[in-house]
Amino acid sequence: MTLERRDGNLYYYRSVRDGEKVRKVYVGAGEFARLSAEGDILRRTDRKAQRAQEMAELGRLRALADPVLELVEAAEILARAYLIASGCHRHKGEWRRARR
Amino acid sequence: MPDDKAGALEKHQLPTEVRDSLDELRALSSKAEDGDKDAKKELRRKLRGASPQVVARASDISRTAQHMLIRTAAAKDPLTQGALSGRLDMMREEIAGENPTSLEVLLTERIVSCWMVVTLFEVLMAGQLNADAKSRTPLSYTLKMLKWQESAHRQYLAAIRELARVRKLEASLPTVQVNNQVNILQG
Repeated sequence: MTLERRDGNLYYYRSVRDGEKVRKVYVGAGEFARLSAEGDILRRTDRKAQRAQEMAELGRLRALADPVLELVEAAEILARAYLIASGCHRHKGEWRRARR
Repeated sequence: MPDDKAGALEKHQLPTEVRDSLDELRALSSKAEDGDKDAKKELRRKLRGASPQVVARASDISRTAQHMLIRTAAAKDPLTQGALSGRLDMMREEIAGENPTSLEVLLTERIVSCWMVVTLFEVLMAGQLNADAKSRTPLSYTLKMLKWQESAHRQYLAAIRELARVRKLEASLPTVQVNNQVNILQG
């Protein structure tokens, strides 16, 4: 997004993605160009702050679930060790008792 | 939304010595599975030594994690907190049954914790879906939550399967559990 000054006049363009390419789209000139540019900056800042807040919330959720993931891992390791130590084996992913 | 500080949870992780024990058990299990008989013997020995400590520490951490998950899901409402806490106690009792082995205790904690994570995601998602258009979060955030919810649900089902499997197999296995024997001298 650019606010361009040419021959003493302000012109505002927005960058719009069109597939692989980015197009420059004319928005307006003069006072309207300045107001549009400021509006876009505010919206962009808002979006950025909202994204940061979402990321922080997702991070907090992740941190809440992390100890449970650790417990899951510990239980898996211990259960596997226990089964192997007791003579079980896996056959095509399925646990089987050893033959007596 | 979650109100707990992420930093506060960092200390609720397994201590290094427990992690080392788990790594050792994992390595020995792999060797034993590949047919190494010495590794199997060593695995039995290690299991006797490390298992109680691992179970105790993992259970401690899971209780703390459950408490934090309850607080978040209940949004500080003491009545909901009490109800969820009671529900977890009931689940624990029902699932573990009478005289559970230490492994069963750990697997029960795993089921209960996974259930709590699933419940938390359900509460958060319900909040999202019920929110009016203004306070609703963007789709990308909701999709991410949905993905985590699905993953939590899969883990919950896997936890139930694991306990069922262990119980089924241990019914006719020579046990490696160490029972503490107390000798009482008479006379």
